Amino acid sequence: MQTLRDTYRRSRWFMPAFALALGVVFFVAQWIGDDPSGGLVSLAIMAAFAAVLVLLESRSGAVAILRRPARDERTRSIDLAATAFSGIVLITVVIAAVMVQLARGEDPSPYAQLGAVAGIAYLVALIGMQRRG
Amino acid sequence: MQNRIRELRAQAGLSQGQLAEAMGVSRQTINAIETERYTPSLPLAISLARHFSHSVEEVFDADAS
Repeated sequence: MQTLRDTYRRSRWFMPAFALALGVVFFVAQWIGDDPSGGLVSLAIMAAFAAVLVLLESRSGAVAILRRPARDERTRSIDLAATAFSGIVLITVVIAAVMVQLARGEDPSPYAQLGAVAGIAYLVALIGMQRRG
Repeated sequence: MQNRIRELRAQAGLSQGQLAEAMGVSRQTINAIETERYTPSLPLAISLARHFSHSVEEVFDADAS
């Protein structure tokens, strides 16, 4: 039987390592795009974020959740609510951007495409999750 | 939700950290439950009640405001 502890077990190094890996991906992408110095800045920002996760975890509850969102059911619930809130903010901004582009008589892409992806992703998740119960 | 976790933990001579370790959650989560800022899931509520050899209804009061 799976225990509560098993459910929430994940390496505390996952998020710092993920942030660093994302920084490397940024660097490579910007290097390919002939902007290696910009890539170094991106990598430095992500490395600093990873360092904050490691160094400030014990001093801040918010940083602790950023480092290990799935530490237990409470942090997972907070992470889920924060993720939903950021999604709502993002969708609102995308819809507003589409309206502004339309009002200017300009092409609403790529905002409209982003909105479509978000809408489809929401519907797919909604259908899948309600089937799971 | 009102509960008797703090009282039962004190009777058992456990710190929040020790109870958290036993439940596989963080100390902050135990603190949030004790101060009624967080309502635990059913599995965690059952685990807590079993840990103190009580029923869920004896530990958690869903009717209290």
